[in-house]
Amino acid sequence: MDIPDLLNYAIAFFSLFTLNVFILLYLKHRNDYHKPLKHSGWTPSVSIVMPAYNEEKYIVSSLRTLLDLDYPEDKLELIVVDDGSTDNTYKVAKAFEGPNLHVFTKKNGGKGAALNFGIKNAKGELVATMDADSYVTKNTIRELIPYFDDLDVMAVTPAVKIRESSHWLKEFQRVEYLMILFSRKLLSFIDSVPVTPGPFSIFRRAVFDEIGYFDEHNLVEDQEIALRIQAANYKIKSSMTAEVFTEPPDSMGDLITQRVRWQRGGIRNYWKYRGMIRPEYGDFGMYFVPLNFAALTAFFLLLGLLAYSILSTPYYVQYIWFEALGMDVTFVTFVGTFVVLTSTFFLWLAIRSFQGERVKLRYLLSFLIFYWYIMVGYNVLFLFKELKRERYSW
Amino acid sequence: MKRTVSFPIYAAAFVISLAIFVIGIYIGMLIDQANVRSISDDVSNISEKVASIQLLLLSEGNSSSFCPIYVSQLDSIDEDVERIGYKLSYLEEEKGIYDAELKKKYFIVEAESYLLSGKVRTLCGGDEVLLINFYSNRDCAKCRDQGVEVLKARDALSDEGIDVKLFSFDGEIGSPVAEAFAMQYNVTTYPSVIINGRTYAGYRSSEDLQAYIKAAR
Repeated sequence: MDIPDLLNYAIAFFSLFTLNVFILLYLKHRNDYHKPLKHSGWTPSVSIVMPAYNEEKYIVSSLRTLLDLDYPEDKLELIVVDDGSTDNTYKVAKAFEGPNLHVFTKKNGGKGAALNFGIKNAKGELVATMDADSYVTKNTIRELIPYFDDLDVMAVTPAVKIRESSHWLKEFQRVEYLMILFSRKLLSFIDSVPVTPGPFSIFRRAVFDEIGYFDEHNLVEDQEIALRIQAANYKIKSSMTAEVFTEPPDSMGDLITQRVRWQRGGIRNYWKYRGMIRPEYGDFGMYFVPLNFAALTAFFLLLGLLAYSILSTPYYVQYIWFEALGMDVTFVTFVGTFVVLTSTFFLWLAIRSFQGERVKLRYLLSFLIFYWYIMVGYNVLFLFKELKRERYSW
Repeated sequence: MKRTVSFPIYAAAFVISLAIFVIGIYIGMLIDQANVRSISDDVSNISEKVASIQLLLLSEGNSSSFCPIYVSQLDSIDEDVERIGYKLSYLEEEKGIYDAELKKKYFIVEAESYLLSGKVRTLCGGDEVLLINFYSNRDCAKCRDQGVEVLKARDALSDEGIDVKLFSFDGEIGSPVAEAFAMQYNVTTYPSVIINGRTYAGYRSSEDLQAYIKAAR
């Protein structure tokens, strides 16, 4: 057996193992994950901090959904931080100002800085972050609060979803988001939630004083803060019923740009917290953090192996390509097929676990077929930018 | 919060993965065996076809009345022989499956079809060129490239309407037939190319080969 063979075997085993862990987590918790939580009835004061940069298009609808939240008015505070927008965001938001809705404006300094500015002005026991291009539903807060009965819980992530449409790139991301949500829920059972998404993650106000505020120079500040909470050995829980709808990128260019940013920032953040790869950090340290490095390595190895096998194809194969295809059906094909089928099953489980979420077959198929190519696209770009040492910023 | 590592989950995932892995390897082995068997069957089939033509030739002596049959049969036999050769090479180079006995058996059929093609060409007056590519899979850096050049030359000439039949022998696997041919054509180094009986030792480019082949007609 030569080195490419060994690498193929290693990647095959790694993919099998990772997939099996998720399937087993599902089997173990299949009766827990949609059970409503018992709730003590605690009704804390909640501040919602919404940073906004050039969001005049969306902010009105977003604010309306916040004002429509089912939560006692005297316990709810809304803080809009206009981050030096060059459009009418500030003026538009200002029109909504009231006793419980404050609108601030500051010099442009990035999302992290705007969030920190808002949090410092927040008076609630809990603080939710909010994106101006996202919309909550009536019971979003109510669904999130019960998790805080556990005093170790410092943050709860909502079910960030995309509204159903007939735009294929949006539908594509909708499927992806459902899969991510489902995986995040499963990860919450082993206390390994790695991100508190910008739209409506909710925190104990006290956690910021203890571990610090958002990193203002981070490409993915909502992931960095989650890793910091994990590093402090606090819990992050994940809700599948507290819905928030967000506007995804609607062009391939924007999507790739977003993902390259996530990837560049994400890997740097895991690298920053690589010290957590120790038994005292439990599943998060011994499984989840290493998994991210392993997955990235496996991905690039697989890409390299594919390129190698194409480049090293003997000349004569053109005369017997059909037979060669048949001879290439081997062990790796078997494991590959198993992994593809099982991930398809996993995807089906994920979608099925959300009541009322339906995905048209054509979007599901396009997701299954094209996800890999989009991943190749942004990962290659990611590698390219890292190797070029391109400036690391928004 | 006190953290723990969920060992049972990882252990179970490991065992399940290992089980699928082992099943996969077993299935892979079955497929490999099936591939070898299928090529072995191909060789036997061709062998029978070759034998029947030989029989016809023997019974008809030097009469050219059966030429259309000889020519069409041999064309298809030679084509099949070439494809089986590629399949064997693919198994050996890409899959690491090497079956010395099968390869020797294949060389016998190949030698038979080469000799028959030569004989039929003389008898029936064909103008195709017979080319033997002598290679070795041991310590022969240029052999793989030579194989590519031979194919390029053949394909280029086929566009011009010149018919070349290819035969390849590995001279260093202890095949008696291949060794006898090597002796007959004075092959001492690999790669060597023999065009209509004339030996060209050492690596030759596709352009050179095309020139030799045109000269040999």
